[in-house]
Amino acid sequence: MAVVVCRLVNGEIDTAAVLATVADVAAGAHVLFVGTTRGVTGDVVTRGLEYEAHEPLARSVLCALAEEAVRTHTLSGCAVVHRLGAVPVGSASVAVATSAPHRREAFAAAEWLMERIKRDVPIWKREEAADGSRTWVHPDGPPAAVVPERRP
Amino acid sequence: MSVQFFAGMAEAAGMRRLTIGWSGGSVAELRAAIAAACPAVGALLARSAVAVDGRYATDAAAVPATADVAVIPPVSGG
Repeated sequence: MAVVVCRLVNGEIDTAAVLATVADVAAGAHVLFVGTTRGVTGDVVTRGLEYEAHEPLARSVLCALAEEAVRTHTLSGCAVVHRLGAVPVGSASVAVATSAPHRREAFAAAEWLMERIKRDVPIWKREEAADGSRTWVHPDGPPAAVVPERRP
Repeated sequence: MSVQFFAGMAEAAGMRRLTIGWSGGSVAELRAAIAAACPAVGALLARSAVAVDGRYATDAAAVPATADVAVIPPVSGG
């Protein structure tokens, strides 16, 4: 039975601990992706970021995605942790860890999860510009998808 | 009924919860009721998903009078 962890946290993400949760003797590949808050995007300086979520829905969508990743990529383990609240520039806002018998599936699953997290999980960021103005980010594109419910 | 707003939608509305009269109907009808009660969210609402009782719902889905409803504007996590 694969390990599945999905969590929203308010403090710093312990990325080593996230990776450790998917450790498995049957896995020959362990992948850790860490998304960090960018301080510079092109010429635009971001002074700080803040994340907000619809927490119950975010948790249930994160868990449904992690479970789907395990099923479709035959993972040994999968962990997804997203930070909420203020996140200093350069810090981890999200960590995804996957383990699988071989590296191809572990990499593919981590990439797939990040794509879906950015599309479907009800979490929003607010960027604070160098002049102190703060803006919620609502990208163009289709609304969050109707994703399958988590299976009991 | 109380409809929950988040992020830029809460900012545009100037509130995190909107109270509207609702005796039941579809998600599409609820969208129209929200837009009528709070025109400030209209543009963003058209690009948003709607969650009913903790699940994303299609426009055809039923929304009972007692449902817990949240509008989910385009997300930017990660």
